[in-house]
Amino acid sequence: MIEFNRVSKVYKGVKALDDVSFAVGPGSVTGFLGPNGAGKSTALRILLGLSRATSGSATVLGRPYGELDRPAARVGALLDADARHPGRTGREVLTLTATALGLPGTRVEEVLDLVGLTGRESRRTVGGYSLGMRQRLGLAEALLGEPEVLVLDEPANGLDPQGIRWLRGLIRDLAASGRAVLLSSHLLHEVEQVADHIVMIGRGRVLAQGTAAELGRDRGLEETFIELTAHADRGAA
Amino acid sequence: MSGTGGTSRAERVLAPIPFRRLLVVEARKLADTRSGKIMTAVLAALVLAGVAGRGFVTDPKLQTLAFTAGMPIATLMPVLAILAVTGEWSHRTALTTFTLEPRRGRVLAAKYVPAAAAALAASLLSALVAVPVTAAVAAVRGIPAVWEMNPLALLGWTGTNVLMVAMGLALGTLLLNAPAAIVVYLVNPMLWSVVGRLGDTGETLAGWLDLNATVAPLVTGDMTGGAAARLAVAAAFWIVVPMAAGAVRVARKEVG
Repeated sequence: MIEFNRVSKVYKGVKALDDVSFAVGPGSVTGFLGPNGAGKSTALRILLGLSRATSGSATVLGRPYGELDRPAARVGALLDADARHPGRTGREVLTLTATALGLPGTRVEEVLDLVGLTGRESRRTVGGYSLGMRQRLGLAEALLGEPEVLVLDEPANGLDPQGIRWLRGLIRDLAASGRAVLLSSHLLHEVEQVADHIVMIGRGRVLAQGTAAELGRDRGLEETFIELTAHADRGAA
Repeated sequence: MSGTGGTSRAERVLAPIPFRRLLVVEARKLADTRSGKIMTAVLAALVLAGVAGRGFVTDPKLQTLAFTAGMPIATLMPVLAILAVTGEWSHRTALTTFTLEPRRGRVLAAKYVPAAAAALAASLLSALVAVPVTAAVAAVRGIPAVWEMNPLALLGWTGTNVLMVAMGLALGTLLLNAPAAIVVYLVNPMLWSVVGRLGDTGETLAGWLDLNATVAPLVTGDMTGGAAARLAVAAAFWIVVPMAAGAVRVARKEVG
Protein backbone atom coordinates (compact mmCIF):
# COMPACT_ATOMS: atom_id res chain seq x y z
CA MET A 1 0.00 0.00 0.00
CA ILE A 2 3.07 2.18 0.40
CA GLU A 3 5.98 1.84 -1.93
CA PHE A 4 9.31 3.61 -2.05
CA ASN A 5 11.07 2.91 -5.30
CA ARG A 6 14.72 3.99 -5.41
CA VAL A 7 14.02 7.35 -3.82
CA SER A 8 16.93 9.77 -3.55
CA LYS A 9 16.88 13.31 -2.29
CA VAL A 10 19.69 15.82 -2.54
CA TYR A 11 19.11 18.85 -0.38
CA LYS A 12 21.56 21.75 -0.45
CA GLY A 13 24.27 19.49 -1.79
CA VAL A 14 23.73 16.85 0.90
CA LYS A 15 22.32 13.45 0.04
CA ALA A 16 19.46 13.22 2.54
CA LEU A 17 18.12 10.03 0.97
CA ASP A 18 20.08 7.61 -1.14
CA ASP A 19 18.29 4.99 -3.22
CA VAL A 20 15.64 4.11 -0.63
CA SER A 21 13.34 1.22 -1.54
CA PHE A 22 10.83 -0.61 0.61
CA ALA A 23 7.15 -1.46 0.68
CA VAL A 24 4.40 -1.66 3.29
CA GLY A 25 1.54 -4.10 2.80
CA PRO A 26 -1.99 -4.09 4.23
CA GLY A 27 -2.63 -5.40 7.72
CA SER A 28 0.92 -4.87 8.84
CA VAL A 29 3.07 -2.49 10.83
CA THR A 30 6.38 -1.43 9.35
CA GLY A 31 8.85 0.20 11.68
CA PHE A 32 11.03 2.81 10.03
CA LEU A 33 13.97 2.79 12.37
CA GLY A 34 16.99 5.02 12.39
CA PRO A 35 18.91 7.59 14.40
CA ASN A 36 17.82 11.21 14.40
CA GLY A 37 18.75 12.86 11.14
CA ALA A 38 18.86 9.56 9.24
CA GLY A 39 16.29 10.78 6.70
CA LYS A 40 13.08 9.26 8.11
CA SER A 41 11.10 12.49 8.14
CA THR A 42 12.39 13.47 4.73
CA ALA A 43 11.21 10.13 3.33
CA LEU A 44 7.76 10.52 4.88
CA ARG A 45 7.40 14.07 3.55
CA ILE A 46 8.28 12.90 0.08
CA LEU A 47 5.70 10.11 0.42
CA LEU A 48 3.02 12.71 1.28
CA GLY A 49 3.92 15.09 -1.53
CA LEU A 50 5.26 17.81 0.76
CA SER A 51 8.76 17.48 -0.62
CA ARG A 52 9.97 16.29 -4.02
CA ALA A 53 12.29 13.38 -4.59
CA THR A 54 15.38 14.18 -6.64
CA SER A 55 14.96 10.78 -8.28
CA GLY A 56 12.85 7.69 -7.80
CA SER A 57 9.22 7.62 -6.76
CA ALA A 58 7.10 7.10 -3.68
CA THR A 59 3.51 5.96 -4.03
CA VAL A 60 0.68 5.25 -1.67
CA LEU A 61 -2.33 3.16 -2.72
CA GLY A 62 -0.65 2.81 -6.09
CA ARG A 63 -0.33 6.48 -6.92
CA PRO A 64 1.67 9.53 -5.90
CA TYR A 65 -0.09 11.03 -2.87
CA GLY A 66 -0.84 14.31 -4.66
CA GLU A 67 -2.74 12.47 -7.40
CA LEU A 68 -5.16 10.77 -5.02
CA ASP A 69 -8.62 12.28 -4.76
CA ARG A 70 -9.15 13.47 -1.20
CA PRO A 71 -5.97 11.71 -0.02
CA ALA A 72 -6.37 12.58 3.66
CA ALA A 73 -9.51 10.44 3.83
CA ARG A 74 -7.49 7.41 2.76
CA VAL A 75 -4.09 8.17 4.26
CA GLY A 76 -3.84 9.46 7.83
CA ALA A 77 -0.64 11.26 8.74
CA LEU A 78 1.00 12.49 11.89
CA LEU A 79 4.16 14.28 10.80
CA ASP A 80 5.02 16.80 13.48
CA ALA A 81 2.90 17.29 16.57
CA ASP A 82 4.48 20.70 17.10
CA ALA A 83 3.39 22.12 13.74
CA ARG A 84 0.29 23.80 15.15
CA HIS A 85 -0.98 27.31 15.59
CA PRO A 86 -0.63 27.80 19.37
CA GLY A 87 -3.74 29.97 19.55
CA ARG A 88 -6.12 27.39 18.07
CA THR A 89 -7.95 24.90 20.31
CA GLY A 90 -7.48 21.18 19.81
CA ARG A 91 -11.15 20.78 19.01
CA GLU A 92 -10.95 23.53 16.38
CA VAL A 93 -7.96 21.79 14.73
CA LEU A 94 -10.04 18.62 14.40
CA THR A 95 -13.17 20.51 13.33
CA LEU A 96 -11.26 22.17 10.48
CA THR A 97 -9.98 18.83 9.19
CA ALA A 98 -13.38 17.15 9.65
CA THR A 99 -15.03 20.01 7.74
CA ALA A 100 -12.58 19.70 4.86
CA LEU A 101 -13.15 15.94 4.69
CA GLY A 102 -16.92 16.31 4.95
CA LEU A 103 -17.15 14.41 8.24
CA PRO A 104 -19.81 15.12 10.87
CA GLY A 105 -19.00 16.83 14.17
CA THR A 106 -19.73 13.57 15.99
CA ARG A 107 -16.61 12.11 14.39
CA VAL A 108 -14.54 14.75 16.20
CA GLU A 109 -15.98 13.53 19.51
CA GLU A 110 -15.21 9.93 18.53
CA VAL A 111 -11.53 10.53 17.82
CA LEU A 112 -11.14 12.70 20.93
CA ASP A 113 -12.47 9.75 22.93
CA LEU A 114 -10.27 7.35 21.05
CA VAL A 115 -7.04 9.20 21.85
CA GLY A 116 -8.07 10.06 25.38
CA LEU A 117 -8.37 13.84 25.20
CA THR A 118 -11.15 15.13 27.45
CA GLY A 119 -13.75 17.65 26.34
CA ARG A 120 -12.17 20.22 28.58
CA GLU A 121 -8.68 19.64 27.19
CA SER A 122 -10.03 19.86 23.66
CA ARG A 123 -11.34 23.36 24.33
CA ARG A 124 -7.92 24.65 25.41
CA THR A 125 -5.52 26.23 22.95
CA VAL A 126 -2.75 23.98 21.68
CA GLY A 127 -0.08 26.38 22.99
CA GLY A 128 -0.87 25.10 26.48
CA TYR A 129 -0.67 21.39 25.55
CA SER A 130 2.13 19.09 26.68
CA LEU A 131 3.99 17.26 23.91
CA GLY A 132 2.07 14.11 24.84
CA MET A 133 -1.25 15.92 24.37
CA ARG A 134 -0.11 17.32 21.04
CA GLN A 135 0.82 13.79 19.92
CA ARG A 136 -2.64 12.56 20.89
CA LEU A 137 -4.19 15.45 18.97
CA GLY A 138 -2.07 14.58 15.94
CA LEU A 139 -3.15 10.93 16.17
CA ALA A 140 -6.79 12.00 16.49
CA GLU A 141 -6.41 14.07 13.33
CA ALA A 142 -4.74 11.21 11.46
CA LEU A 143 -7.58 8.85 12.41
CA LEU A 144 -10.43 11.25 11.57
CA GLY A 145 -11.18 9.95 8.08
CA GLU A 146 -10.81 6.26 9.06
CA PRO A 147 -7.89 5.94 6.61
CA GLU A 148 -6.61 2.69 5.12
CA VAL A 149 -3.01 3.79 5.49
CA LEU A 150 -1.35 5.47 8.47
CA VAL A 151 1.94 7.33 8.37
CA LEU A 152 3.18 8.22 11.84
CA ASP A 153 6.45 10.09 12.39
CA GLU A 154 7.80 9.48 15.90
CA PRO A 155 4.32 9.20 17.43
CA ALA A 156 5.60 8.02 20.81
CA ASN A 157 7.66 11.18 21.43
CA GLY A 158 6.51 12.87 24.60
CA LEU A 159 4.07 10.13 25.61
CA ASP A 160 4.31 8.81 29.15
CA PRO A 161 4.74 5.03 29.71
CA GLN A 162 0.96 4.51 29.89
CA GLY A 163 0.59 6.51 26.70
CA ILE A 164 3.22 4.44 24.93
CA ARG A 165 1.50 1.21 25.94
CA TRP A 166 -1.83 2.62 24.76
CA LEU A 167 -0.27 3.69 21.44
CA ARG A 168 1.14 0.20 20.93
CA GLY A 169 -2.33 -1.29 21.39
CA LEU A 170 -3.87 1.25 19.03
CA ILE A 171 -1.31 0.52 16.30
CA ARG A 172 -1.80 -3.25 16.66
CA ASP A 173 -5.58 -2.80 16.40
CA LEU A 174 -5.21 -0.63 13.31
CA ALA A 175 -3.09 -3.28 11.59
CA ALA A 176 -5.41 -6.07 12.75
CA SER A 177 -8.30 -4.31 10.99
CA GLY A 178 -6.38 -4.48 7.73
CA ARG A 179 -4.67 -1.12 7.68
CA ALA A 180 -1.10 -0.47 6.64
CA VAL A 181 0.89 1.39 9.26
CA LEU A 182 4.28 3.00 8.65
CA LEU A 183 5.78 4.08 11.93
CA SER A 184 9.06 5.93 12.27
CA SER A 185 11.14 5.98 15.40
CA HIS A 186 14.71 6.37 16.57
CA LEU A 187 14.04 3.96 19.46
CA LEU A 188 14.60 0.30 18.72
CA HIS A 189 12.58 -0.88 21.70
CA GLU A 190 9.51 1.01 20.59
CA VAL A 191 9.62 -0.38 17.05
CA GLU A 192 10.56 -3.91 18.01
CA GLN A 193 7.47 -4.35 20.19
CA VAL A 194 4.94 -3.48 17.54
CA ALA A 195 6.41 -3.82 14.05
CA ASP A 196 6.01 -6.88 11.83
CA HIS A 197 8.65 -5.59 9.54
CA ILE A 198 11.59 -3.29 10.24
CA VAL A 199 13.40 -1.00 7.82
CA MET A 200 16.65 0.30 9.28
CA ILE A 201 17.89 3.55 7.84
CA GLY A 202 21.08 5.49 8.50
CA ARG A 203 22.55 8.49 6.69
CA GLY A 204 19.82 8.32 4.09
CA ARG A 205 20.40 4.68 3.12
CA VAL A 206 18.39 1.58 3.90
CA LEU A 207 20.87 -0.49 5.91
CA ALA A 208 18.77 -3.59 6.43
CA GLN A 209 15.17 -4.72 6.32
CA GLY A 210 13.21 -7.75 7.40
CA THR A 211 11.33 -9.10 10.38
CA ALA A 212 12.74 -8.51 13.84
CA ALA A 213 13.71 -12.20 13.96
CA GLU A 214 15.55 -12.04 10.65
CA LEU A 215 17.43 -8.87 11.54
CA GLY A 216 18.41 -10.14 14.97
CA ARG A 217 19.38 -13.65 13.90
CA ASP A 218 23.15 -13.29 14.15
CA ARG A 219 23.88 -10.82 16.90
CA GLY A 220 20.55 -9.89 18.37
CA LEU A 221 18.48 -6.98 17.08
CA GLU A 222 20.05 -4.31 19.24
CA GLU A 223 23.63 -5.20 18.30
CA THR A 224 22.63 -5.18 14.64
CA PHE A 225 20.99 -1.79 14.97
CA ILE A 226 23.90 -0.25 16.88
CA GLU A 227 26.48 -1.66 14.52
CA LEU A 228 24.66 -0.70 11.37
CA THR A 229 23.96 2.83 12.50
CA ALA A 230 27.21 3.47 14.40
CA HIS A 231 28.81 5.24 11.49
CA ALA A 232 25.64 7.11 10.66
CA ASP A 233 24.44 8.56 13.93
CA ARG A 234 25.97 11.93 13.25
CA GLY A 235 24.63 11.99 9.70
CA ALA A 236 22.84 14.81 7.95
CA ALA A 237 20.51 16.50 10.41
CA MET B 1 -11.76 0.81 18.90
CA SER B 2 -15.08 2.31 17.92
CA GLY B 3 -14.83 4.21 14.69
CA THR B 4 -11.64 2.77 13.31
CA GLY B 5 -13.00 -0.58 12.19
CA GLY B 6 -14.73 -1.50 8.96
CA THR B 7 -13.87 -0.77 5.40
CA SER B 8 -17.07 0.98 4.29
CA ARG B 9 -15.37 4.33 4.07
CA ALA B 10 -12.51 2.88 2.11
CA GLU B 11 -14.86 1.46 -0.49
CA ARG B 12 -16.65 4.73 -1.09
CA VAL B 13 -15.80 6.62 -4.22
CA LEU B 14 -13.98 9.71 -3.06
CA ALA B 15 -14.00 12.94 -5.01
CA PRO B 16 -11.59 15.83 -4.42
CA ILE B 17 -12.59 18.14 -1.58
CA PRO B 18 -15.18 20.56 -3.04
CA PHE B 19 -13.85 24.10 -3.32
CA ARG B 20 -16.72 25.53 -1.27
CA ARG B 21 -15.63 23.36 1.64
CA LEU B 22 -12.05 24.63 1.39
CA LEU B 23 -13.57 28.13 1.44
CA VAL B 24 -15.44 27.36 4.66
CA VAL B 25 -12.28 26.01 6.27
CA GLU B 26 -10.05 28.90 5.23
CA ALA B 27 -12.69 31.49 6.18
CA ARG B 28 -12.90 29.88 9.61
CA LYS B 29 -9.14 30.04 9.99
CA LEU B 30 -9.27 33.84 9.61
CA ALA B 31 -10.77 34.20 13.06
CA ASP B 32 -10.51 30.91 14.95
CA THR B 33 -7.20 31.55 16.72
CA ARG B 34 -6.67 33.75 19.74
CA SER B 35 -4.78 36.36 17.71
CA GLY B 36 -7.38 36.20 14.93
CA LYS B 37 -10.18 36.83 17.39
CA ILE B 38 -8.32 39.75 18.97
CA MET B 39 -7.56 41.30 15.56
CA THR B 40 -11.19 40.96 14.51
CA ALA B 41 -12.43 42.52 17.76
CA VAL B 42 -9.90 45.38 17.52
CA LEU B 43 -10.91 46.01 13.92
CA ALA B 44 -14.62 46.12 14.79
CA ALA B 45 -13.93 48.41 17.76
CA LEU B 46 -11.79 50.77 15.66
CA VAL B 47 -14.40 50.96 12.91
CA LEU B 48 -17.13 51.78 15.44
CA ALA B 49 -14.96 54.20 17.42
CA GLY B 50 -13.69 55.85 14.23
CA VAL B 51 -17.12 56.46 12.79
CA ALA B 52 -18.62 57.57 16.12
CA GLY B 53 -15.58 59.66 17.09
CA ARG B 54 -15.56 61.54 13.82
CA GLY B 55 -19.19 62.39 14.51
CA PHE B 56 -18.09 64.64 17.39
CA VAL B 57 -15.80 66.77 15.29
CA THR B 58 -17.50 66.91 11.92
CA ASP B 59 -20.88 67.69 10.48
CA PRO B 60 -23.42 64.87 10.30
CA LYS B 61 -22.61 63.82 6.72
CA LEU B 62 -23.25 60.15 6.06
CA GLN B 63 -20.56 59.72 3.43
CA THR B 64 -17.82 61.46 5.43
CA LEU B 65 -18.60 59.40 8.52
CA ALA B 66 -18.80 56.10 6.64
CA PHE B 67 -15.45 56.63 4.91
CA THR B 68 -13.76 57.38 8.24
CA ALA B 69 -13.68 53.64 8.77
CA GLY B 70 -11.36 53.37 5.76
CA MET B 71 -8.31 54.02 7.92
CA PRO B 72 -8.66 51.02 10.25
CA ILE B 73 -9.96 48.80 7.44
CA ALA B 74 -7.16 49.61 5.01
CA THR B 75 -4.54 49.29 7.76
CA LEU B 76 -5.65 46.22 9.71
CA MET B 77 -7.50 44.04 7.19
CA PRO B 78 -4.48 43.65 4.90
CA VAL B 79 -2.45 42.66 7.98
CA LEU B 80 -5.07 40.03 8.78
CA ALA B 81 -4.84 38.89 5.15
CA ILE B 82 -1.05 38.71 5.35
CA LEU B 83 -1.25 36.61 8.52
CA ALA B 84 -3.80 34.27 6.90
CA VAL B 85 -1.23 33.34 4.26
CA THR B 86 2.04 33.55 6.20
CA GLY B 87 0.66 31.87 9.35
CA GLU B 88 0.76 28.53 7.56
CA TRP B 89 4.55 28.89 7.34
CA SER B 90 5.38 30.60 10.63
CA HIS B 91 3.39 28.00 12.59
CA ARG B 92 4.25 25.25 10.08
CA THR B 93 0.59 24.32 9.76
CA ALA B 94 1.27 24.11 6.00
CA LEU B 95 2.30 20.56 6.87
CA THR B 96 -1.30 19.56 7.64
CA THR B 97 -2.96 22.03 5.28
CA PHE B 98 -1.15 20.69 2.22
CA THR B 99 -1.49 17.08 3.34
CA LEU B 100 -5.23 17.66 3.45
CA GLU B 101 -5.27 19.34 0.03
CA PRO B 102 -2.10 18.71 -1.99
CA ARG B 103 -3.32 20.97 -4.79
CA ARG B 104 -1.76 24.04 -3.23
CA GLY B 105 -3.24 26.51 -5.69
CA ARG B 106 -6.74 25.58 -4.51
CA VAL B 107 -5.72 26.29 -0.92
CA LEU B 108 -4.38 29.72 -1.86
CA ALA B 109 -7.54 30.57 -3.78
CA ALA B 110 -9.60 29.42 -0.81
CA LYS B 111 -7.61 31.83 1.38
CA TYR B 112 -7.96 34.79 -1.00
CA VAL B 113 -11.72 34.72 -1.47
CA PRO B 114 -12.82 35.00 2.19
CA ALA B 115 -10.22 37.70 2.93
CA ALA B 116 -11.49 39.82 0.03
CA ALA B 117 -15.10 39.12 1.05
CA ALA B 118 -14.28 40.24 4.60
CA ALA B 119 -13.00 43.58 3.24
CA LEU B 120 -16.23 43.96 1.29
CA ALA B 121 -18.33 43.12 4.34
CA ALA B 122 -16.37 45.46 6.62
CA SER B 123 -16.83 48.32 4.14
CA LEU B 124 -20.58 47.82 3.87
CA LEU B 125 -20.83 47.40 7.63
CA SER B 126 -19.14 50.73 8.30
CA ALA B 127 -21.54 52.41 5.86
CA LEU B 128 -24.40 50.90 7.86
CA VAL B 129 -22.89 51.96 11.20
CA ALA B 130 -22.58 55.51 9.86
CA VAL B 131 -26.37 55.79 9.44
CA PRO B 132 -27.35 55.87 13.14
CA VAL B 133 -24.23 57.90 13.97
CA THR B 134 -25.24 60.51 11.39
CA ALA B 135 -28.75 60.64 12.82
CA ALA B 136 -27.46 60.91 16.38
CA VAL B 137 -24.95 63.66 15.60
CA ALA B 138 -27.62 65.63 13.74
CA ALA B 139 -30.05 65.28 16.65
CA VAL B 140 -27.51 66.15 19.36
CA ARG B 141 -26.09 69.17 17.57
CA GLY B 142 -29.37 70.27 16.15
CA ILE B 143 -28.14 70.57 12.60
CA PRO B 144 -29.68 68.82 9.59
CA ALA B 145 -28.06 65.57 8.55
CA VAL B 146 -26.69 65.20 5.04
CA TRP B 147 -27.80 61.78 3.87
CA GLU B 148 -26.33 62.11 0.44
CA MET B 149 -24.18 59.12 -0.44
CA ASN B 150 -22.74 58.84 -3.91
CA PRO B 151 -23.19 55.15 -4.80
CA LEU B 152 -20.20 55.28 -7.14
CA ALA B 153 -18.02 56.70 -4.39
CA LEU B 154 -19.20 53.99 -2.01
CA LEU B 155 -18.43 51.38 -4.64
CA GLY B 156 -15.04 52.93 -5.32
CA TRP B 157 -14.22 53.14 -1.63
CA THR B 158 -15.23 49.52 -1.07
CA GLY B 159 -13.17 48.52 -4.10
CA THR B 160 -10.19 50.37 -2.62
CA ASN B 161 -10.45 48.37 0.61
CA VAL B 162 -10.66 45.12 -1.35
CA LEU B 163 -7.61 46.12 -3.43
CA MET B 164 -5.62 46.88 -0.28
CA VAL B 165 -6.48 43.45 1.12
CA ALA B 166 -5.50 41.91 -2.20
CA MET B 167 -2.15 43.67 -1.94
CA GLY B 168 -1.70 42.21 1.54
CA LEU B 169 -2.52 38.73 0.24
CA ALA B 170 -0.09 39.15 -2.65
CA LEU B 171 2.76 40.35 -0.43
CA GLY B 172 2.07 37.58 2.08
CA THR B 173 2.14 34.93 -0.65
CA LEU B 174 5.30 36.29 -2.21
CA LEU B 175 7.30 36.81 0.99
CA LEU B 176 5.76 34.02 3.17
CA ASN B 177 6.98 35.99 6.15
CA ALA B 178 4.58 38.10 8.21
CA PRO B 179 6.93 40.81 9.53
CA ALA B 180 8.46 41.43 6.10
CA ALA B 181 5.09 41.57 4.33
CA ILE B 182 3.54 43.84 6.98
CA VAL B 183 6.48 46.25 6.88
CA VAL B 184 6.42 46.43 3.09
CA TYR B 185 2.67 47.04 3.17
CA LEU B 186 2.72 49.75 5.84
CA VAL B 187 5.85 51.55 4.67
CA ASN B 188 4.66 51.65 1.06
CA PRO B 189 2.67 54.94 1.20
CA MET B 190 5.52 56.75 2.98
CA LEU B 191 8.04 55.40 0.53
CA TRP B 192 6.10 56.69 -2.46
CA SER B 193 5.61 60.12 -0.97
CA VAL B 194 9.40 60.35 -0.76
CA VAL B 195 9.92 58.93 -4.26
CA GLY B 196 7.30 61.35 -5.59
CA ARG B 197 9.48 64.26 -4.54
CA LEU B 198 12.59 62.98 -6.27
CA GLY B 199 12.25 65.09 -9.41
CA ASP B 200 10.38 64.24 -12.61
CA THR B 201 11.41 60.59 -12.74
CA GLY B 202 10.34 60.02 -9.15
CA GLU B 203 7.05 61.76 -9.77
CA THR B 204 6.35 59.65 -12.85
CA LEU B 205 7.24 56.45 -11.02
CA ALA B 206 5.00 57.30 -8.08
CA GLY B 207 2.24 58.32 -10.45
CA TRP B 208 2.19 54.86 -12.00
CA LEU B 209 3.26 52.56 -9.19
CA ASP B 210 1.85 54.00 -5.96
CA LEU B 211 -1.27 51.93 -5.44
CA ASN B 212 -2.46 54.14 -2.58
CA ALA B 213 -2.44 57.21 -4.81
CA THR B 214 -3.70 55.60 -7.99
CA VAL B 215 -6.80 54.23 -6.24
CA ALA B 216 -7.80 57.73 -5.07
CA PRO B 217 -9.86 58.53 -8.21
CA LEU B 218 -12.04 55.50 -7.38
CA VAL B 219 -13.39 57.40 -4.38
CA THR B 220 -13.30 60.96 -5.70
CA GLY B 221 -14.96 59.90 -8.93
CA ASP B 222 -12.26 61.38 -11.18
CA MET B 223 -11.62 58.09 -12.91
CA THR B 224 -10.44 59.08 -16.37
CA GLY B 225 -8.88 56.78 -18.94
CA GLY B 226 -5.41 57.88 -17.86
CA ALA B 227 -6.18 57.34 -14.19
CA ALA B 228 -7.58 53.88 -14.96
CA ALA B 229 -4.37 53.00 -16.80
CA ARG B 230 -2.29 54.15 -13.83
CA LEU B 231 -4.43 52.13 -11.43
CA ALA B 232 -4.14 49.04 -13.64
CA VAL B 233 -0.35 49.34 -13.76
CA ALA B 234 -0.06 49.85 -10.00
CA ALA B 235 -2.44 46.95 -9.30
CA ALA B 236 -0.50 44.69 -11.65
CA PHE B 237 2.74 45.67 -9.92
CA TRP B 238 1.52 45.21 -6.34
CA ILE B 239 -1.16 42.55 -6.70
CA VAL B 240 -1.12 40.49 -9.91
CA VAL B 241 2.63 39.99 -10.28
CA PRO B 242 3.50 39.24 -6.64
CA MET B 243 0.45 36.99 -6.29
CA ALA B 244 1.41 34.99 -9.38
CA ALA B 245 5.08 34.77 -8.38
CA GLY B 246 4.08 33.85 -4.82
CA ALA B 247 1.72 31.11 -6.06
CA VAL B 248 4.57 29.59 -8.06
CA ARG B 249 6.81 29.82 -5.00
CA VAL B 250 4.22 28.12 -2.77
CA ALA B 251 3.60 25.39 -5.35
CA ARG B 252 7.29 24.55 -5.49
CA LYS B 253 8.21 25.05 -1.87
CA GLU B 254 9.37 22.15 0.23
CA VAL B 255 7.13 21.90 3.26
CA GLY B 256 8.87 20.85 6.42
